[in-house]
Amino acid sequence: MSAGKILVVDDEPQIRRVMKVILIGEQYEVVEARSGETALVRFREFLPDLVLLDLNMPGLGGLETCREIRETSEVPIIILTVRQEEQRKIELLDAGADDYITKPFSKKELLARIRAAMRRSPLSMTSGPHSFISEDLEIDFNARKIRAGKKTVRLTPKEFDLLRYLVSQAGKPVPHRELLQAVWGPDYGDQTDYLRVFITHLRKKIERNPAKPQYILTEPWVGYRFNPPAK
Amino acid sequence: MAEEVGVDREIAHKTMVSRNRIRTGAQICGSLAIVAAITVIYTRVVTNVNSTTIALTFLLAILGIATRWGLLEAIVASIGGMLCFNFFFLPPVGTFTIADPQNWVALFAFLVTAVVASQLSTSVRKRALEATRRQQEMERLYELSRGLMLVDKGTPIAGQVSHRTAQVFDLRGVAIFDRRNNFVYRTGVTDDSVSDSRLRDVAIERTTFRDASADVWILPLNLGGEAAGSLAICGSGISETALHAIGNLAAITMLRAHAEEAANRMEAARQNEAMKSMLLDALAHEFKTPLTSIKAAASSILDEAPPAQKELVTVIEEETDRLDSLVTETIRMARIEAGELHLQKGPESVAELIESALEKLRILLEDRDVKIEFSPNLPEVFVDAELAGLALRQLLTNALKYSNPDSPICVRASAEAPFVRISVKDSGPGIPEKERAHIFERYYRVAESADRVPGTGMGLTIAREIVLAHGGDMWVESASGQGAEFFFTLPAVKSNAEGSS
Repeated sequence: MSAGKILVVDDEPQIRRVMKVILIGEQYEVVEARSGETALVRFREFLPDLVLLDLNMPGLGGLETCREIRETSEVPIIILTVRQEEQRKIELLDAGADDYITKPFSKKELLARIRAAMRRSPLSMTSGPHSFISEDLEIDFNARKIRAGKKTVRLTPKEFDLLRYLVSQAGKPVPHRELLQAVWGPDYGDQTDYLRVFITHLRKKIERNPAKPQYILTEPWVGYRFNPPAK
Repeated sequence: MAEEVGVDREIAHKTMVSRNRIRTGAQICGSLAIVAAITVIYTRVVTNVNSTTIALTFLLAILGIATRWGLLEAIVASIGGMLCFNFFFLPPVGTFTIADPQNWVALFAFLVTAVVASQLSTSVRKRALEATRRQQEMERLYELSRGLMLVDKGTPIAGQVSHRTAQVFDLRGVAIFDRRNNFVYRTGVTDDSVSDSRLRDVAIERTTFRDASADVWILPLNLGGEAAGSLAICGSGISETALHAIGNLAAITMLRAHAEEAANRMEAARQNEAMKSMLLDALAHEFKTPLTSIKAAASSILDEAPPAQKELVTVIEEETDRLDSLVTETIRMARIEAGELHLQKGPESVAELIESALEKLRILLEDRDVKIEFSPNLPEVFVDAELAGLALRQLLTNALKYSNPDSPICVRASAEAPFVRISVKDSGPGIPEKERAHIFERYYRVAESADRVPGTGMGLTIAREIVLAHGGDMWVESASGQGAEFFFTLPAVKSNAEGSS
């Protein structure tokens, strides 16, 4: 039985070759595409459980392909990029990507990210708070709807799980490690800079002034804390 | 070449003056000839005509001369006519005596007719001339405005405006002071009164200068509130209205050109930067693509390889990582050098910066003893967290690489208004004094350790560039054998409570 269907999109044949061997070795079903345009066609035929998408491709680039897929599907998308800057990574999340991997990466890292992206947070649906309402922020966890200020905000599943976990522990500092493992799974725990990118992005979506956050506060040396406004 | 044109123009001016004199002389002779002709006709051809008819004939002739040629010619004709009338036709004929006071009336009538008629006709002619001139000015202004629409972008605009104005209005000399580049452009011969300093004064004070005797005007060129410079016009005879119109045209042309130039420059700079950025992106992509396949493949083999091969594959993987960081650092350096260091500054806590740097180096740090010392009331720093973190990590990595694994590393932070000073101290062998000056240079490696310790020789350069870009500084203190301490300063966030600590 296959572990899941993965669409690998990269214009570099060697990278596709290696990834195919690695993924098939882990019992995944793999379909390749060498351009964003082909990827969109294959996506409709193959209906993958996850998309590995190279950022830098001629023609329809990674960001556009990601946006196109997001128009119709909530499938987890992991972007492969060579850029290191946090700002670039936030752009990827903006385009609707669930995660990113910086090239070059090891087999271990790749598989961990794939598992994390495919895995749904265990506390979603079942436990945790159902809603949060304050003056300028409304979260309905069941309907997965968020209103910040006057506009409705769309979160990716990972961002949603991250926010839900923080809200469920409202007022308490949540350590980096705990947060990473609760949302991304047991392979995670050390990547605090990775967490920082997601937190920055989440703040951009729900905070009135992301530079001076009111809800998602940083606890130096420890982690993050969701701060419900004092009544 | 402009000077030659000026000389030609002066010669033309002189020849025109002398031509005018010749014409006047000829006309005076002509008037006398007409008087003589009338006299001849009435003494030889048509005799026995009464004196009133003769006087009227003279009067008509004078009227004609006055309207056609002008006052001087008419007066000459009046006097000549009066003399001839007296001598040839009034009794006693053949003498200049005036028997009858009627003769005085005749002379007076001649002169009055001459003056009145000539003046009337002169003023009519003047008005007609004025009208033609106005029309001509309008046509020339139109021509100038069309010409100025088509200025050539390659050469200085003010120079072209000056040249075209002189050409279209056929002027002795034109000068334009361009306030933007502080340069005076001259065409033809400009008078001495049109000095560079006067042009500048007019442009700054925005008051018109006029030397009527030399026919020199200097106008300020401004449009709205913006001053473009000043314009001097020599030898125009141009009406004041036209002069101001020329001034406005020149000002519009120059300000438009300035605005276009500024827009073009900005566009060029933007394109240049975008180009560099694209090139570096492409470069990073080209190098990292094969590294990605190698690393993914090697790490994949590593899982199943027998122990002997495992060792070899580990070497492949580690060396891939090294190549990768080499590429990353080279490209980062290139970006910094290309001026592409876009700082995204914000207030950051120093504690968090240090924490996050240590966290990222966790694997390298292993169980190293890292002491952290903070002075109390440390303000936040106003920095790009990612880049400042990179600089700090660079120093930490250096301390790790160049000291004994058992020795401690000490990170200190203290406020030194308006900066926060952060230092990283190791207890390694230190840096020999003669090397200290060079360690921040690109690709420089301390000779003793270059073979033992892996490195690119770029880390410190990058760290220092980042700190400098924040307005801070980076330096090292080291006594040989007693470790090295690297210091750097980052701008502190100005707080209202400053001075209380």
